[in-house]
Amino acid sequence: MKTYKIFGIATAVIGILTVFTLGSCSTEQVTAYKNKSGAQLWGENCIRCHNTPSPAAYNDTDWTTIEMHMRIRANLSKEQSEKVFDFIRSAN
Amino acid sequence: MKKLILVIFLGFLAFGVKAQVNDFKSSKTQFMIRGYGHMGYENVNTNGDRESSYDGGAFAPIFLFKHSDRLMFETELEFVINEGSLEVGFEYANIMYILNDYMTIRGGKFLLPFGTFMERLHPSWINRMPTKPLGFGHDGIAPGSGVGVELRGAFRVGTSTINYSVYNTNGPGIKTPEGVEPGEAGMLTFNNLIDNNNSRAFGGRLGILPFANNSTEFGVSFYSTDKAGNTGSIYENLGANLFAFDFSFVKQLAGLGGIVDIKSQYNKSKVDNMIYTVEETPGEFENLNFDNNSNSFYAQLSYRPTMSGSDFISKLEFVTRYSTLRTPEGAGWEANKKEYSFGLNYWISWRSLIKLNYQSITGEGGHDTIGGFDQKGLYLHWAIGL
Repeated sequence: MKTYKIFGIATAVIGILTVFTLGSCSTEQVTAYKNKSGAQLWGENCIRCHNTPSPAAYNDTDWTTIEMHMRIRANLSKEQSEKVFDFIRSAN
Repeated sequence: MKKLILVIFLGFLAFGVKAQVNDFKSSKTQFMIRGYGHMGYENVNTNGDRESSYDGGAFAPIFLFKHSDRLMFETELEFVINEGSLEVGFEYANIMYILNDYMTIRGGKFLLPFGTFMERLHPSWINRMPTKPLGFGHDGIAPGSGVGVELRGAFRVGTSTINYSVYNTNGPGIKTPEGVEPGEAGMLTFNNLIDNNNSRAFGGRLGILPFANNSTEFGVSFYSTDKAGNTGSIYENLGANLFAFDFSFVKQLAGLGGIVDIKSQYNKSKVDNMIYTVEETPGEFENLNFDNNSNSFYAQLSYRPTMSGSDFISKLEFVTRYSTLRTPEGAGWEANKKEYSFGLNYWISWRSLIKLNYQSITGEGGHDTIGGFDQKGLYLHWAIGL
């Protein structure tokens, strides 16, 4: 029973966090977030697991394959992965 | 006539040149091999028995086949030299199809998003330590992979990102007194390539990155099955419920002059109780009756002074990890252990590093151990992502 209580509390905390962040962000903040550059997202997202990769590590074709792999593996949103990999290809 | 031949010749030439140009266009179907590998040296003293050896190394090729912008196949194998012989592992093989911007379905054998360690962090070039935390890997309590189907995706909500995963896989099995490891009766196993009881496991993970800078992620996972034992056995109706919480914070902090990386995960496993009658010695039986609850936890902190003016120092990384494992008191596989690890890494490139690590695990019980457990190890590993 204690197990389920803890699980329920954790789920509730995540729900509250979601509602809190939804309610606390202004239109300007959302716009700024939506306008983040690929370079910025590249710096923020890749290091959540590993170092930011060098754009020169692979060619553009390979990056397209890796884009699909990483979008699914790291559970990135479509807009995140598109911006990150468009940046990588442009810097390659 | 000559003009006609010339026109035909020029036509073929133009066609040939166009064909060659087309050859250099990237095709829609793409195939590539990635992966990772490592090798190293280990000096480990376990309860007074010292073992010093080069680690024969491991090679884990990942094959990616992109069929179209929506369809992909991926598989990972693992070749490891373990105790003098080659072991080949089949980590995953699955087909993935992007249904829309927010949903991807995949089927086959895939790494389970039970927490984040096994799915995202275990590869040797990503894991900052040469070993896994307690509770993961061999005889771990957290499932690593499963065979089934999964729906996953991510989307933005305001300035936050939510990611989710729900899956249905062949459920876990359970070790029994009649099996090959009777001393581990009651322990869940997660390598069911074929379901042992026509009952699936259902699980999922919900993650939220609440802040706009994507630095922080909270996750909650569950994994549940009504039946773990083999069909027709007295263990068939043993159910199991597992859950996990994970936390991650990664950010370059100007005040500290570098990247701070904190990772943590708590796993809890609860299996229905059962009395296991184990033959301790030939003809002598013992009834093992215990609350089949296990838990494990790890927290890891690493710091890399990336803003240092020294090129050498900026490639160093300091890392420490604490982990615990508690398995049922009274079980043949009872364990209560703590791990403290300290390491110094040197990044040769963004995907290759040398790890020097000191690890201490103390406590009681565990795999093939009765009574006290005291292990001190020094590890020197070189890992590379391909």
